Formats: sequence, structure tokens, C-alpha cells
Amino acid sequence: MSSDQDHLKETDTEKRFEFKKEEKSAFEAEKGLTEETIRVISEDKDEPQWMLDRRLRALEQYHEMPMPDDWPGAPDLSAVDVDEIVPYIRPDIETRGGVDDWNDLPEEIRDTFDKLGIPEAEKNALSGVGAQYESEIVYQNMQERWEEKGVIFCDMDKAVQEHEEIVKEYFMTKAVPPSDNKFAALHGAIWSGGSFVYVPEDTTVDMPVQAYFRMNSDGMGQFEHTLIIAEENSEVHYIEGCSAPKYSEFNLHSGGVEVFVKENAHVQYSTVQNWSKNTYNLNTKRAICEADGTMEWVSGSMGSKATMLYPSTVLKGPGATDNHITIAFAGEGQDIDTGAKVYHNAPETKSTIESKSISKDGGRTNYRGLVHIADGAEDSSTSVECDALMFDNDSTSDTMPYMEIQESKVDVAHEATVGKIGDEDVFYLQSRGLDDDDAKQMIVAGFIEPITEELPIEYAVELNRLIELEMEGSLG
Amino acid sequence: MSTQVHATLTAEQVEQISADLDEPEWLLETRLEAFEALDSLAMPDVIRTPGRRWTNLDALDYETLVDPLEYAQDKDRIDAEGVDVLSWTEALDEHGDLIEEHFGSVVDPQRDYLTALSTALFSAGTVVYVPEGVDAEDVKIRTTMNSRSLFNYTLVVAEDSSSVTILERQQTGDSDVDGERYYSGVVEAVTGENAYVQYGTLQNLSEESYNYQVKRGHANTYSTVNWIEGNIGSRLTKTSVETRLLGDSSESQIVGAFFGHNDQHFDIGSRVWHEAEHTVADLVTRGVLDDEARSVYEGVQDVGTEAWDTSSYQRENTLMLSDESEADASPKLIINNHDTEASHSATVGQVDEEDMFYMTSRGVNPEAAKNMLVEGFFVPVLDEVEVDELREDLDDLIVQRLTQ
Repeated sequence: MSSDQDHLKETDTEKRFEFKKEEKSAFEAEKGLTEETIRVISEDKDEPQWMLDRRLRALEQYHEMPMPDDWPGAPDLSAVDVDEIVPYIRPDIETRGGVDDWNDLPEEIRDTFDKLGIPEAEKNALSGVGAQYESEIVYQNMQERWEEKGVIFCDMDKAVQEHEEIVKEYFMTKAVPPSDNKFAALHGAIWSGGSFVYVPEDTTVDMPVQAYFRMNSDGMGQFEHTLIIAEENSEVHYIEGCSAPKYSEFNLHSGGVEVFVKENAHVQYSTVQNWSKNTYNLNTKRAICEADGTMEWVSGSMGSKATMLYPSTVLKGPGATDNHITIAFAGEGQDIDTGAKVYHNAPETKSTIESKSISKDGGRTNYRGLVHIADGAEDSSTSVECDALMFDNDSTSDTMPYMEIQESKVDVAHEATVGKIGDEDVFYLQSRGLDDDDAKQMIVAGFIEPITEELPIEYAVELNRLIELEMEGSLG
Repeated sequence: MSTQVHATLTAEQVEQISADLDEPEWLLETRLEAFEALDSLAMPDVIRTPGRRWTNLDALDYETLVDPLEYAQDKDRIDAEGVDVLSWTEALDEHGDLIEEHFGSVVDPQRDYLTALSTALFSAGTVVYVPEGVDAEDVKIRTTMNSRSLFNYTLVVAEDSSSVTILERQQTGDSDVDGERYYSGVVEAVTGENAYVQYGTLQNLSEESYNYQVKRGHANTYSTVNWIEGNIGSRLTKTSVETRLLGDSSESQIVGAFFGHNDQHFDIGSRVWHEAEHTVADLVTRGVLDDEARSVYEGVQDVGTEAWDTSSYQRENTLMLSDESEADASPKLIINNHDTEASHSATVGQVDEEDMFYMTSRGVNPEAAKNMLVEGFFVPVLDEVEVDELREDLDDLIVQRLTQ
């Protein structure tokens, strides 16, 4: 069995535990990504012919496209060897048990969970089959409640089977075509797992849809695809839960997220990413927003060795709105190159981007953003604010925004500031009895508050805790 | 496919120019090396947004534009007391060693194709030498280009504790030349300790001119290098104004103003490197675009690891008067030392409707009101221009354009 099949099994909920041993014995490494591999993935998932065709076309495009290595200041991707990719993403047989058994998780990850204390459910889910069951129940309850309203929420592989027509129309056709970039093409070829959310017209899902538990049951979706369709006048908040369950020994993550915000609909997509420090995180996320629709991205990027991620929104209809709130934290050896892209393609569209970054211990953060205002997008406005906080002199913080303005009746503003943590602020807090560590943590907590206040409380707490943990090393 | 000039340019032509200027052997060699390098050099970096290059320097027909041996200009040089403002021939004669020491030390003669071309072919230009301790005000250079192409090279050497303000005007004169022209200007400024150089340029070339300029200064300890970059004329301008803050407590200010109309294209770069302690930089640019004009602006504040206690600020504002105009802005911060206070901001917008309403409601006709607001838009930049004459000239050109 090829390595790809192994990866496939990994993401297949039903068979994961059952066939584990057989996979192990049948395991055989094979380098490179081939047409045969794709066919095996598709066949095993019992996919319709059109999906196989799309995968194969994406594979062709993947081979044709260049690496994104000619951007000024782009992270070093030289370790991402195209021919080695599949073996890299293939879980090592010794550590892949980590997702099944809490005790097999790398110590660093276990430690983090212990310190986090929350969320307990996730820890339980990771610690064995029983918890897995438990998470299924949570998932099922949610689904029943929404099903009455016609809301669909399931994993992407299932969606291909059960909601084929919708998937066929939207899947990597309009928002993120494989031709978008090399890693979107890679994703198109070997995607697996992920979430499918469909909200019918005039429907408000009044509590966040969380992919949190389901991601566990799906296992290690390193190429997961998320497709969210919010029909007219609908509203939904999707949270890709703490990404800690995606902690792994894998070296590459290349997910795809497509969001369709129809007229007057409202979608919020929130995520807190905390990949292991050896992961190359190269995602493509894009929303298409129709008239009077609102798209909101809230994201925290904590982990990974290198991240290149620029969630983008196409404001296609008049009156459409986009809000981005992002935070990046780069510690030792990390290069977090992230930002936001917004295309104002219709009149009276609005966007705001608020980006915060923290770098310490030699980490690098970069805000790389693009605001494009097309000819005819009159009375549009955009505001971009970037703030960077640096802890020490080994760290780097860059800001590289681009503004392309083809319309005169617009209001465009960009602002960025960089500063070190204020000695006076620390002194002030110390003089009131806080020790140095606590003072700095409090300043950081205040710095990222605009992000945390957009998240449900448990995620906000978790984000704060993650940052505290990141800071512990140098502050202790 | 464009043709590039090195296909027809010969070493003999380069030697001829050098002989005309009565140059020493080392300078001829520098020229010939630049000429030899043309084959392997790339066009200057232009501002790119992901997936797009905004200024296509390859598309110009250099072979037709550049006429190496036909150069004609009028040059006025007004010097100030104690300072030498010299043509290249005079300067090489009087300060040969000084020029040999500094020529090409700030702007690499082979940094890119167009700079190397300028090094190989320059015939016009000026050397400004400010001896130690001399305060020189209002050095004026006026270059009037009367040929198809003109390559201008300016070297400024300001010794310890000296100061100088230089105002350079660039224009095209009445001549028999029809159609497109090419102007290339290189300015390099060297400073001693505690020296002060302010270099202002007012570019008002004909709108059939292609204009390539690179200006770069090295600021020594306690030194200041300030640039004023006014761009009004030309069909296409690609300009890069740069300061390296190499000495502790050095400073630089780059003030830019541009006003594009018709189908003018401005590719404007401002760049500062903080490489020492306690350095300060301030980048301010304001531009107005009308008709189908477009601007691409990139400002970079690069703070090195050794640049403790840095202050670095950048502002760029563009006003769009026409719906066919396009503006791109990319203010970049690259920070490698955390002991830094840095910020940048950029805005793009149109004439404020409330301001218009306010003025028209007080009896000012809409056209006049708009003109006043546009003129007012430049005020924060004009305020930064210390040389009265440059400020007034720039303001005059803005008013002229508004009332055309």
C-alpha cells in the first residue's frame, strides 16, 4: 500500500482504528505525488468521476506552477521538497498512534494540554476511543437541532456523497480554484476531510458551529477542505476549533477554505491555529461576499515553523462588508507571514483589517496584505491597522501592505506601528506589586484584547493561555 | 520585445565621451566596466504587488531613445560662498583625488542596467564640494535638456561640520528634438561627521520624456541627509530616493510631492536603512492624480539589528481627482531591532465633499474651491521644504497645473 493510502486511512473516521494494524503491516513508502496516488485516494473515498477529474487536473496544475519563493521577504520554503511531500505528510507509524492514545503524543504537546487545562473535551477526545464517542454525541446533538432548519453540517468527504450537486457547483470552482497557487493546486489534488456547512435562506444559526470535535473524529486532516455556503439572509459563525488536535509530526499542512456569503448573509469564520513547530502551514482561504453580505475573519496564528496565509475576501456585491481581525505570535525559529487580502469589486463596499503581531526569541512576524479597489467600486472604504510588539532584539517584525486603488471615490487608510514592550508600562505595573512576568503578560493580554473579545469565551481564554505559555520560556 | 541600447552601443562611443570630458584613466575604466556589464545586468527593481509588475521598464525602446554622442544641455550653476560647484571637467581638474575616492561609493555603478548605462554614458553633471566647516546655502543647478537623451551625474561631497542646500531643476528646453526623450540622473551624496546636506529636485521634463533617477546618500555620525523630490513632468518617471543612516545619531528626511495628469506614470520609491544607534528618519510624500495618471509608491524603513533606539516615521497620502486615475501604495516596515519606535501610514481618497460644500456655500465656485483644496493638500509637504525658492517653485507648478 502506498504512503498516500496510509494518509487516506488516517482521515477516514470509520476505518481508522479498525484497520490500523493492517495498514502498519502493509505500509510501504513511495516518494512523490503521482496520478496513481490520486486515483487510489479517490477510489477509496468512492468519489464520483467529476471529483477524480478535478483532482487529476489540480495535480497537473500543481506540477506546472512555481513555488511562491520570489516574494520579497517570503519565508524560506526550501525544506519543502516537492518530491518529498507525500512521505512527509504520511504519518510516521510510531507517532501516528498519537492521535489515538494520549500517552503517545509528543511530550511537548501533552505538556501544553496539561498546562492549558482547557478544553478538557479535546484532551479526552485525544486520549482514546471513548472520548471520541463522546465527541460524536456532542456533534450529533448539534446537528439534530440544526437539521430541523435545513442546516447541513458534516464532514467534507460525506458531503461529496450526500450533497453532491451543491459540492459539485462550489468546490474549488469559484473561490479557490487550484490555479490560484501551487499549494491550492496541491490541496485540490490530495484534499481530504474538512467541514461542509450549508445554511439555507433566512436561517440564523445562533450558536457557533464548531468543527472542534469533529476534527478529532476526522483525525489528522492535513489537507482538509472547508466549504461554507450561507444563503440569502442567513447567519452563521463557524469556528475551526483549537487546532491542537492537529499537532503532529507532519511537515506540511495545506488546507483550503471557501466561504460563500450570499445577499445580506453574515458569516464569521474564527480559528486559532497552533501547529507544531515543524509544520509548514500553507493555506488558501477565500470568501466571496454578495450584496450587503458580511464576512468576518478572526484568526490567531501561534504555531508552525513557517506560515504563509492571507485569508481573502472578494466583495462582489454592493454594500458588502469584510472585517479581518488577526493575531500572529512568532517565537524561536518561527516565521509567521500572514495578513489579509480584500478585493473591492462593487460600490459601497467596506473593509477593515486589524492585525496584531508579537515576536520574541528570534521569531519573525510579517503582515503582508493587499487591498484592491477596482474601477467602479465607488464610495468604498477600507481601513488597515497593524500593530507589532517586539520582545527582544533577536526578533523581526515586518509590515508589507499593498494598496491598489483604481477608483477615486474611495477612502483608504493604512497605519502600522512597531514598538517594544514599554519599559514605563512594565515599571508602572511592577510598582503596583506585579512581578516582571505578570506585568508583561498583562501588557500582552491588553495588546491582543481586540482579538480575544471577538472570540467565544473559551477560545479567548485558550488564546490567552497559549500566549502565556509561549512567553513563559523567556520570562521565567 | 524591446531593444536595449547595448546592442548598438560601442566601447568607442564610451571612450569618446570620456575624452570629451578630459577624464582620467580610472574613470574611463569605470565607464567601460559598466558598459561591459550591461549585457548581464537586469532592469532596476520595480514595485510589484503579488502577481503584478506595475512599471514596465523593458518596454521602452532604448535603442531609439538613447543617442550616446548627441548630448546637449544648458546648465546654470549658481554657487555659494566657500563651496565649489563645478562641471565634471573642472572638478576632475581641481579635485581629481576627491572624486576618485568617492565616485561610485554610494551608488554602485552596476546596481542595475539603467544605472550602469548612466555611468557609461554620462556627459552632463555637477560636482558639489563643500570643504570642512563651510556653511553653504542655496546652491542652484538648472539642467535644461536639449537633446534626445541626457545622462546627468551629480556627486556631492560635504566634509565634516559642513552644510549645504542644493536645488536642482530639471527641464526640457526648446529644441529640434521631436517626440520621446530619455533623461537619466544619478545623485550620490557623501557626508563627513556632523555634516548637513539637503538636496531638492524639481523635475518638470516634457511629457514625452522617460525619466530614470536614483539618488542616494550616506549619512555619517551626527549627519543629516535630506531629500526633496518634486515630480511634475515626464511621461514616465521611475525614481528611487535612498539614505543609509550609517553613523550614530544620523538623520534623514525624504519629502516627496507629485502631481500627475494625462497619462503620466510615476513609480516612486523612498528607502531608509537604519544601521547605527539613535537614528531618525521621516518620510513624507503627498501626491495628486488627475485624468488617467497613475502612481506607484513604495516606502521602506529598514531597521537593522544594530540600530538601537531608532525612530522612523512614514506617511503617504494620495488624492485622486479623476476616476480613471490609479494609485498604488506600499509602505513597508522591516524591523530587526526591538528598541524601535516606528510607524507608517498611507491614505488614498478624493477631495473631501464636506470641504467642498463648506467652500461653495461661501460663494467660491466649485472649480476654484477644488483647486484651493488641492493646493492646500500639498501644504503639509511644502511646509517641510526649507528652501523658500524650491517651495515657491513647486507651489507655482502645482497652481499652473490646476489652472491649465
